[in-house]
Amino acid sequence: MKATAGSGFAARWAPTVLLGGILFYLVAVPLIVLLVSSVKPTGLPLDQGWTLSNYARTYSDPKFYELVWTTFRFAVGASLLALSIGVLMAWLVERTDLPAKGLVRVMVILPMATPPLLLAIGWIMLLSPRTGFINDVLVGTLGLEGAPFDIFSLSGMIFVEALSLVPSTFLILSPAFRNMDPNLEEAAVTSGAGFWLMLRRIVLPLLLPAILAAGAFLMIVGFVVFDIPGIIGMPVGIFVLASHIVYLAHDAAGGMSQYGLISAIAVFFLAILFLLAWTYQRATRQAGRFVTVTGKNFRPRPFQLKGWRWPAFGIVVVYFMLATVAPIGILTWASLMPFYASPSWEMLQNVTLANHEAFFSNRRAVQAAQNSVIIAVVASTLVALLSVLISWTVVRSKAAGKKFIDILSFMPIAIPGVMIGVALIYVYLVFSWTGIYGSVWIIVIAYLTTYISFGSRATHGVMTQLHPDLEDAARTSGAGWLRSMWRVIVPLTLPAILAVWIWVLAHCMRELSSALLLQGNNNRTVPVLLYNYWSGGQPNRAAAVGVWLVVAMLVVVSLWQFLVSRSRVGGAKG
Amino acid sequence: MLEINNLRMEYRSEHVSHLAVDDISLSVRPGEFFTLLGPSGCGKTTTLRSVAGLETPTGGAISINGEPVFSHDRALNVPTQKRDISMVFQSYAIWPHMSVFGNVAFPLQAAGMPSRQVRSKVDDVLSLVGLADYADRSATQLSGGQQQRVAVARAFVKEAAILLLDEPLSNLDAKLREQMRREMRHLQKRVGTTSIYVTHDQDEALSLSDRIAVIDGGNLIELGTPTELYLKPKSTFTASFIGQADLIECQVVGKAADGAKVRTPFGELIAGVHPHLAGSATHVLVRPECVELIDAATHDTNTFDGTITSVMFSGKSVEYHVRLANDFEITVQTPPIVLREAGASVRMHIPPERCVLLAGERRTGIEPRQTAVAA
Ligand SMILES: Nc1ncnc2c1ncn2[C@@H]1O[C@H](COP(=O)(O)OP(=O)(O)O)[C@@H](O)[C@H]1O
Ligand SMILES: [Mg+2]
Repeated sequence: MKATAGSGFAARWAPTVLLGGILFYLVAVPLIVLLVSSVKPTGLPLDQGWTLSNYARTYSDPKFYELVWTTFRFAVGASLLALSIGVLMAWLVERTDLPAKGLVRVMVILPMATPPLLLAIGWIMLLSPRTGFINDVLVGTLGLEGAPFDIFSLSGMIFVEALSLVPSTFLILSPAFRNMDPNLEEAAVTSGAGFWLMLRRIVLPLLLPAILAAGAFLMIVGFVVFDIPGIIGMPVGIFVLASHIVYLAHDAAGGMSQYGLISAIAVFFLAILFLLAWTYQRATRQAGRFVTVTGKNFRPRPFQLKGWRWPAFGIVVVYFMLATVAPIGILTWASLMPFYASPSWEMLQNVTLANHEAFFSNRRAVQAAQNSVIIAVVASTLVALLSVLISWTVVRSKAAGKKFIDILSFMPIAIPGVMIGVALIYVYLVFSWTGIYGSVWIIVIAYLTTYISFGSRATHGVMTQLHPDLEDAARTSGAGWLRSMWRVIVPLTLPAILAVWIWVLAHCMRELSSALLLQGNNNRTVPVLLYNYWSGGQPNRAAAVGVWLVVAMLVVVSLWQFLVSRSRVGGAKG
Repeated sequence: MLEINNLRMEYRSEHVSHLAVDDISLSVRPGEFFTLLGPSGCGKTTTLRSVAGLETPTGGAISINGEPVFSHDRALNVPTQKRDISMVFQSYAIWPHMSVFGNVAFPLQAAGMPSRQVRSKVDDVLSLVGLADYADRSATQLSGGQQQRVAVARAFVKEAAILLLDEPLSNLDAKLREQMRREMRHLQKRVGTTSIYVTHDQDEALSLSDRIAVIDGGNLIELGTPTELYLKPKSTFTASFIGQADLIECQVVGKAADGAKVRTPFGELIAGVHPHLAGSATHVLVRPECVELIDAATHDTNTFDGTITSVMFSGKSVEYHVRLANDFEITVQTPPIVLREAGASVRMHIPPERCVLLAGERRTGIEPRQTAVAA
């Protein structure tokens, strides 16, 4: 702050006030509104009167505890499964002599391009007890009495959710596996320890913080997701937190949105989620402390898989088949059918492009595509910009109260998309004169809040790795704040920032929950359109939309990985 | 104690292969402090790691205490944890999730020692390295020097037949490095473990070792005691790698009572070391600190007149560049007793017993004063 340093107080507070204001508006306002609404008779924050009846009704209802229990089992199950697969994949890729590692990385990360709701739809088509393709084949070939698998169950939901969480798990864990100084393991061996003792006493304890961080992250996601439990569980009455909120907001008896109840439930889950977020934060920090790479003499010695090389590669292929090839394959098939039918030679003659043509000629579909692009581009750009400023302030500047900024920007990780959706409904129903309610901008605001925590964590990492001397060198060369930012900080961090930008872009394109709640006539996104087709009984049209969504996602995810591999200072996580 | 025979290590990746160790054979005696010295990338670490069993060489054989632990031809490869060795890593490799005690106790626990015994042994070793009061500290709260001591303690406690040390002092700052060097030597003498020490730092090698193996390009160049290698090196590589050296091209023209008579660009000189090389000698080695600046002609031979062209004062010594006949420049280093200025005329004497004849390739442009750079 060359020129402004003299004005002391103002300069020290300016970034905090500015960013604090924006974050307060994005994060704290919805939370406050949610809290207020929970003690309002109608559930609308500006209405008359106060009441505790929402709490009384919620917490005296045994169904509520059933909901908590189901959500808990879903989150724990999906987290454990995803963690097991993710740890295995990270270890295989970073620490062993697995063949074709480049291809393996692609096979583990690419499933991110499949939006979870499509994964759910794909797996319903494969494993539904009545029409599921795999069930049909198994019944036919093995001569079984009934379908061996039922996707419409808690285990079905857990299975699909875990598949969709593996890429994130892998991305969180693989740096920890990669950065562990191999000398630490070798020191154990030269101390006389065998493989298992080394694993138990050295490797696992060292990786524990990273695994814990990944676990906490997965639990958070497990608690907040809507798409997979919404698609698989809702039709058969298996509710988790997010799907229950959507149910209360949309479909509850009488068509009246039960906002007061939603808020009372939300408060309970927010408490759990903030606890998880705190664990995550601490574990991440601990993991950072354990990174002991010295740079010198660093030579990873891959674990020799010997006879297990190709079987291990086979496991990765199986995962890729389950997470991408099979569900996308059946979706593609469905998108080419005039009505829903399992794949067979006879049906091949009915192949038609009608669903795809309908997608491209339908005005509403085209509008949804436009909305999706506008929302994704604007939201991800704002997230990237805001994240850089937040990280610079938190990591680099001497601004007063930067801790406050840090906490505010991290909090949204614990706020489910559906809750943000509901809270924004309250806010902009009240401020209906702004015209934001029902427009694409309300969704932009929702995504901004949802992804600011991911964005700022990722840019934190980038800023931390950038040596402070580089910036100071620019300053001592006579460059002001703006110039050193523009000529030094931005170019050095650009690839990593672009990676964050694309990561958010990809997630905005596939995100369903808040957009679903905030949908009006003119702001539907592609996932919302898809969801509507699907729940409205038009699986083939849904499949056609899905195929094109996946194509778009593939492009974005490939670009993202390309940028990550090019960025010197590390890419996004999660 | 340790026998290495025709060790060869070729790193093969998908397309390229890299020969890190070409052909190294050596034998280390019990209780010896043996150093592998060479420039960065010459294959020292690879050799050491092969002894530890952390790399699988592509040729040769290794035996420890008379027992073969590796043999390429017999497809024998004893796993690291079964070898009677312990190792200190360049990065220390202190486990950050354990206390100092936990780190040092680990090798004993791995060997299945009862915990009462473990405690007393660890305490002994910790006081040996001066960390008695730090047992319960977390390993991450230690300074670099303390971490280094923990690493040494962890290696000592195992009481293995051979202690392997890979540049253990290279991450310390200069002052601490010298202190630790002394401590290390002291400890090793006291405990008497056979030690293989890897370094690229010639000062460290000279002051610590009983014997030094000079390695370059994956081959053993020369093996000897510090004084042999410094004062009577047999190869131009050793001569220029260890210490400062003026390698002067020369030709032997005759015999003298105390050596060989050689012709150099700046006149005739008697070289007392390796006179038997005779016609095959290509260079004569003169170390700057072995040249005396004298006032009167007190010697009959090896005395030359010249002019000082530059002076560099570095505290414990002064370095002069002196121009001799035929514009030949030579470096002279003296203690700062008499200070001289550039431009002054001087007379120098080079004792014949410090002029070393060497047989190298005859080529011009040999780099004088080649010193090691960081690994
Ligand atoms: N895992 C490896 N793969 C390929 N080349 C290697 C590997 N490890 C070491 N090398 C190469 O082998 C040579 C010798 O390495 P090293 O033994 O570490 O040298 P030093 O310890 O003497 O500096 C170097 O050129 C190095 O680049
Ligand atoms: Mg080395």
